[in-house]
Amino acid sequence: MKRSTATTRRIWMYECMGVCFLTIIQAFSHTIILSLVFCSTLFAQFQLPKYENYILENGLTLYLMEQHEVPLIYISAIFPAGAVWDESKSGLAAFTADALLLGTKNYTKKQIEETFDFLGASISSYAGKETAEITISFKKSDLEKVLPIFIDVITNPTFPQEEFDKRKKRWLAELEQAKESPRRVIGSYFDKFIFGSNVYGNAVSGSQSSIKDLNREDLQGFFGMHYRISKLGIAVVGDFSAGEMKNKIESMFPRTPSLDQLNLTIDVNKDIKRFEKSNVLLLDKDDSRETTFLIGGYGVSWNNKDITQIQVINTIFGGRFTSWLNDELRVNTGLTYGARSRFTNYKNAGTFYISSFTANKTTIEAIDLALEVLDRLHTEGVDEATLTSAKNYIKGQFPPRYETSGELADLLTTMYFYGLDDSYINDFEKNVDEMTIERANEIITKYFPKENLQFVLIGKADEIRDKIKKYGEVTEKKITDDGF
Amino acid sequence: MKQLIIFLFFTVTILPQTRVEDISTFTLKNGMKIIVLEDHSIPNANMYLFWKVGSRNEYPGITGLSHFFEHMMFNGSKKYGPKMFDRTMEANGGANNAYTSENVTVYTDWFPTSALDVIFDLEADRIANLEFDDKMIESERGVVLSERSTGLENNPLWQLWEQVQGAAFFAHPYSIPVIGYESDIKNWTKKDLQTYFATYYSPGNCVVVIVGDVTVNEVRSLSEKYFEPIAVGPSPRKIHTVEPEQDGERRVEVKRDVPSPYVMLAHHVPQTNSEDYYALSLLESILTSGKTSRLYSSLIDERQLAIEVSTDYSYAFDPFIFTIYGICSKDITPAHLEAAIIAELDKVIKEGVTGEELQKVKNQKLMEFYHTMETINGKANTIGTYELFFGDYKKLFSAPQDFAKVTAEDIQRVAAKYFTKKNRTVGILMAEEETQ
Repeated sequence: MKRSTATTRRIWMYECMGVCFLTIIQAFSHTIILSLVFCSTLFAQFQLPKYENYILENGLTLYLMEQHEVPLIYISAIFPAGAVWDESKSGLAAFTADALLLGTKNYTKKQIEETFDFLGASISSYAGKETAEITISFKKSDLEKVLPIFIDVITNPTFPQEEFDKRKKRWLAELEQAKESPRRVIGSYFDKFIFGSNVYGNAVSGSQSSIKDLNREDLQGFFGMHYRISKLGIAVVGDFSAGEMKNKIESMFPRTPSLDQLNLTIDVNKDIKRFEKSNVLLLDKDDSRETTFLIGGYGVSWNNKDITQIQVINTIFGGRFTSWLNDELRVNTGLTYGARSRFTNYKNAGTFYISSFTANKTTIEAIDLALEVLDRLHTEGVDEATLTSAKNYIKGQFPPRYETSGELADLLTTMYFYGLDDSYINDFEKNVDEMTIERANEIITKYFPKENLQFVLIGKADEIRDKIKKYGEVTEKKITDDGF
Repeated sequence: MKQLIIFLFFTVTILPQTRVEDISTFTLKNGMKIIVLEDHSIPNANMYLFWKVGSRNEYPGITGLSHFFEHMMFNGSKKYGPKMFDRTMEANGGANNAYTSENVTVYTDWFPTSALDVIFDLEADRIANLEFDDKMIESERGVVLSERSTGLENNPLWQLWEQVQGAAFFAHPYSIPVIGYESDIKNWTKKDLQTYFATYYSPGNCVVVIVGDVTVNEVRSLSEKYFEPIAVGPSPRKIHTVEPEQDGERRVEVKRDVPSPYVMLAHHVPQTNSEDYYALSLLESILTSGKTSRLYSSLIDERQLAIEVSTDYSYAFDPFIFTIYGICSKDITPAHLEAAIIAELDKVIKEGVTGEELQKVKNQKLMEFYHTMETINGKANTIGTYELFFGDYKKLFSAPQDFAKVTAEDIQRVAAKYFTKKNRTVGILMAEEETQ
């Protein structure tokens, strides 16, 4: 973590909220803009670069995309092994993914770290809500040195006891530390509040009590169950020859599928709550000088056909600097440094929320204003100028999202896991352009929550407790209480 | 012999796509310098404007003004009134941001190439004709107070950093936090803003970098059309204050209800364009870059004294500080962690670093370069940074050789020279009850 020596005008975002690529699509602005924006600008259309795709005999799905701008290679591996599979052991998926790097059959933790560090290469492994992802990047000349380690990490981790114990101790301290920063934890509280005991409510990081109870056998069990080659997607992007790379990767895995083809299923709809009224969760953090809040409800899943058009509307509402939310809460009133809204998409579910923060004494003013803006979206809808501006913005900011090999590797594994085809990229601009005012207003009615909103607030309870009752039934907890 | 091999390795492989001769520069009649690099990999481009003004140019009463100014630059000018800068840019597919440090204020625009002309118009209008709307000033004070508050709320390090920096410098304006003091944010006047603008936002105080799907010729003609007519202002006052040499350890304590204490150590070091820069930069990597780095492997992994440890060695025009900080593990006292960090520094001073360690961090530097040069934004930011802090963007292209030349003896020498007790400021942030 680097010191924030420089203060920036508008970079702030919620961390640790699971895998979501669409969040990068941010759009904005309202009111009348000069005539120049009434016509949608023609941009050079961005298309997915050429790539090869194979399903090997053992079930592994492999993507190869050559990119020769710099002599680097990125490899990204994805398993369906995220927190939705935690069951009663909260944090198990995330801990397992992290612990892949603690040692393998053929390499100690020290050997892995020394090899990667010495070459200036990088390796990371983490799990989010639905998936575990292991990525490496390196100079192409170092392929032979890093590839065998990478393969061992994803197929033969040993979870050595001593390293496991050390990591667990640090994990517990990190959990405690994270609650010092409302912004880092509010997303976990929100998901839990929305989804309850449904698997999408599972907190990725786990809790003090659940992590304390984990042992290395839990990790071994989870690994055996969820890290299967038949479910693995690998994307290789960078400076290599696709034919050679295919042979090389293929030769490093067993040729035939393992006998254990147990088909794991999960009841993604179990215990999904229906909200009949608004509820408020208040987390008391005694030393707070500001209130951090999320307001929202259910969103949409990745397979929703309107996903791109929803992002266009979210651009207008809370997805860019001149969005209605930021314009009101920041620019017009100076209540906050930033206000935005976001859809987080999962495979079978999703959330929508408005997020911001404000001084203790302006909490009610800021929340009321945010609700007013949401209401305006429903009552007034959007006009042609605003829609055109949002379209231009979302298209203009699209190509830089896939500029590096690392970003393209992430994209390919995301497409693999969520079952997206090339049209997700290649028809992106078409889907944006096709949007009419009528369509825009349909999207608002259909996807932006209007009533029974759910509120999560972190702040100094003594100063806001009574005033927030008007938003719904309040449940109060201390932020220091175990878990979320 | 080993040195020679490393040298060749760096020169052959660095920056395969961008060469120093691919970059064009020209200076307008009003002194504004423009640097252009064509890169047609995506249909986008950017414009980075580096202004040589930051909190280093402030004094009591107007602390935080550089940063506040950065906000005001978006709040309306003659042609594009309040809100119109952002609205026009976004409607044309562009996005922007800006950042302020002790040394510089940098404005960044990212846009599809089709918006190039509009971007020039927007930037020229606010540089030439910024307006100061009273209502906007008041509303922006609230935004900046919220920014200050949310930084402090979410990151205890902010609080500690302010105190340590303030203690390490008492003469030089590097003692001033970039965000400014709350009382100044609430009280500076419109006149302060106007004076500041006239002083520091003169075209000669700016370097513009444009990278992306553009041609040098079109950038040149747009620069002449939009930027060249901007009037020249007075030359800014030179910062001549030199921080007196520190002659003894300084210590500060901050109380905050945190689960475990934070420790910060700052040592005075020379400015970026000094000859010790490359050795100090490699030393920083040896200490905290990667899991095999000295502080990570020893303090976090092996001895479990800390849950986090990091360093900061920022670019600076004047002599600045090299900062090391860590967060204590459960039941570890700050004194324990502090002593352990110092012991690691002493070890470098007494025993030096190994050849392999040095090679490792040189390899890491090479990879950092590649990653930077993968994107048009990385290129623009790095080119501008080298132009300002090293005095010439060409230094970017010789950096690999400059790093390669550093020897293990150099590392040991700079460690011994700067990591002394009397040159040190120590900051501890911890809960009240733990000190009772």
